[in-house]
Amino acid sequence: MNDTMLGRFYRRAAGLGLLGTLGAVYVALIGIVERFEPRNIVTGYLTLGLLTAALVVFVTAYRATEPPHSWGIGPPPRQHVLGAGVLAAVIGAAGVALFLVLNRALPLDAVLVNANDRMSEILGLGLEFPAGALALLGAGLAFGVAAGGLRLLAPRFRGPLIAAVVAVMLVSLMEPFMRVVLLQLGQNAISGFFYQSGGLTVPGAIIVAGAVLAIGLANSLRGEAVRERVAEMPADQRRGIQIALFVVGIVFLLVLPQLIGSFLSEVVGTVGLYILMGLGLNIVVGYAGLLDLGYVAFFAIGAYATAILTSPVSVLGWGLSFWVAIPIVMLIAALSGLIIGAPVLRLRGDYLAIVTLGIGEIVRILLLSDALRPWTGGAQGILQVPPPEFADIDFFQPQNLYYPILAFVVLGAFVAISLANSRVGRAWNAMREDEDVAAATGINITNYKLLAFSLGAVFGCIAGAFLAVKLGSIFPHNLNLLVSITVLSLIILGGMGSIPGVIVGAFVLVGLPELLREFAEYRLLIYGAVLIVMMLWRPEGLIPSAQRKRELREHEDDEDQWAHQTGVPTAMPAVERPGP
Amino acid sequence: MTATEPRVEQPAAPQGHLLELENVNAYYGNIRALRGVSLYVDKGEVVTLIGSNGAGKSTTLRTISGVLKPRTGQVRLDGLRIDALPAHEIVKLGVAQAPEGRRIFSRMSVYENLLMGAFSRRGEKLDDDIARVFDLFPRLLERRTQQAGTMSGGEQQMLAMGRALMARPSILLLDEPSMGLSPILTEQIFDIITEINGQGTTVLLVEQNALMALNVAHRGYVLQTGKIILTDTAANLAANEQVRQAYLGEI
Repeated sequence: MNDTMLGRFYRRAAGLGLLGTLGAVYVALIGIVERFEPRNIVTGYLTLGLLTAALVVFVTAYRATEPPHSWGIGPPPRQHVLGAGVLAAVIGAAGVALFLVLNRALPLDAVLVNANDRMSEILGLGLEFPAGALALLGAGLAFGVAAGGLRLLAPRFRGPLIAAVVAVMLVSLMEPFMRVVLLQLGQNAISGFFYQSGGLTVPGAIIVAGAVLAIGLANSLRGEAVRERVAEMPADQRRGIQIALFVVGIVFLLVLPQLIGSFLSEVVGTVGLYILMGLGLNIVVGYAGLLDLGYVAFFAIGAYATAILTSPVSVLGWGLSFWVAIPIVMLIAALSGLIIGAPVLRLRGDYLAIVTLGIGEIVRILLLSDALRPWTGGAQGILQVPPPEFADIDFFQPQNLYYPILAFVVLGAFVAISLANSRVGRAWNAMREDEDVAAATGINITNYKLLAFSLGAVFGCIAGAFLAVKLGSIFPHNLNLLVSITVLSLIILGGMGSIPGVIVGAFVLVGLPELLREFAEYRLLIYGAVLIVMMLWRPEGLIPSAQRKRELREHEDDEDQWAHQTGVPTAMPAVERPGP
Repeated sequence: MTATEPRVEQPAAPQGHLLELENVNAYYGNIRALRGVSLYVDKGEVVTLIGSNGAGKSTTLRTISGVLKPRTGQVRLDGLRIDALPAHEIVKLGVAQAPEGRRIFSRMSVYENLLMGAFSRRGEKLDDDIARVFDLFPRLLERRTQQAGTMSGGEQQMLAMGRALMARPSILLLDEPSMGLSPILTEQIFDIITEINGQGTTVLLVEQNALMALNVAHRGYVLQTGKIILTDTAANLAANEQVRQAYLGEI
């Protein structure tokens, strides 16, 4: 690496350091640091508030230790890796310290309401004013060395180490969930050992980190050999292992609600609804490539259709059983998919997105309108939606309602997987790649688009039906644009076209916020940040489908190859295709 | 080089033409792209449509394959009007196209691309057709599992033609198969066109490379600003003074 490049590398590190300052000060000023402070990560040592600000600085410093791929210069010498990390982290921390000085000298809190003494104290590592600001510089140095050191570790050690730290955070954040589970199992002693005042205890944190580190190391050092051995096993033996894992999974899913209690079953039920919607929208967006921003329309239609059919106080007053109503709802769903799908079929890409966005809003406003008030009850909605009836089971209990939701999720996943590997799936795939050519190979574009829309609608309506049942009533304000955005976000997060991705995405974007009530206020902010980070670092999603991975990475590969061949560093990162 | 020998024998047309355009007018918005185009292709022929950029060659093919609907005029296949049919129906009737610029499904493998080509032939055995394509294009057999978008331009053109053949078309529409290819590859592609024709597939070939196209074709049409200005046997066109000046690069 020559001097010019080295200079560029350090300038970039300094810039990232400033970015770290801005990020940390930003999360402090919007109140996240103070709001998250009561949540312990490692009780007595680390709280979520400080961690959030510290993570911003650390992550930027870690980024600073590696020149971007597009510079085409490979890793710099070791001392410069450390140097860049230290430079970025110290600048980041010094900036925060400067902010503390400013905050002390000027009445910032007159304008920035969150810039109070409490925030200063948290950012100053809990120390008094000058000591806190000075300690920050020391902390910055330590962070820089840690970031550089982490980068210098061989990847097979780095991965498990990062996993261990993330695991400690997650296990700690999962405290409300884990404590209930342990309580249900009668393991109060274990709960007390691991958790204290909402965070992990020190020995608990060490054990969690140690365990994850050990598993991670075993996987990165020996994993290949184990996988090879499994691959070499006779087919029936391998099949046996698969079946065993499958059975364990089924048993786990069946006993889950009994373990986690009522509140968490409710949360998991909500996640289930979003998985259903995710599976449905995934067909429309992930498979067929039709960007639908008004998916909430189907959720609403399903919920209202169910309420009208089953509630004794609805306009029909039929009071049908849920099980009788659901096939009718599915039929209505398929029809509504056709009706909404038909006019928008000629549109492509951005135009389709805008029109569907409008349709989602139209449906919501219709539900609120006076014209439909006799049917939908306007803002008062429809009350007294009865739970499903089956034997003597009380499906009003979230722990019991979990099972029918689970059944539909499993069924939905099965349908989605079968579709992906079918003639229909191939047609969608071709359509997504090149509509004209797909038509020229004999694919009836109109029919396949309508099919995607209709199937997506059925999934959305089933989710809506369960929403009505779950709430026991239905109101228009449950059915806003945010639902569409959440479902689309969870697909993008998990990986477009990927079914495991939908499930993981739903748990992360819908399940976690339920557990982390502190986050509620910042939910959209965090969604936005998560999506931006995903698009930049892992556009194919957390668990991408093989197809998508190819699509999104190919441009980068092309560009890299070109850069290597010509020796010209590409200044710009690979430009991704804007959406499906 | 046997493939580029001009053919003198022309198979006698059976009753009616395989493909016929009669007085076709097509528009992009308000721009009239085709002005009363009439042409025909008989069974077993290679017919070429030559002309400069923007003459309306690709538009003619788009009109035949149903992607673009003519405003007036008729397109007939075996006497049956197809100008109002949607594109996917026209494929089923035996018109397949290797579009301009290849436009293969770049994220699918070579094999998957070929399967997509046979999409209109639901539930039929495809082994023979696949074998035939691999026989015509041995390169594709080597690249069977490769992601199509990562292949060279020539290989992609082969794939586009192979994909079109998978539909077992009675007429194959080729749009600028030589575009962006080296002279050697172009020659190979044209050899294969002759071979495909020899196996009984009728070909309508759109080309800017008029010299090569007239070499393999039986007859040709010259298109200029949306109008057919000249038609004759390929040999006569190649000898025609006007054509030589305008399209064969002679002064």
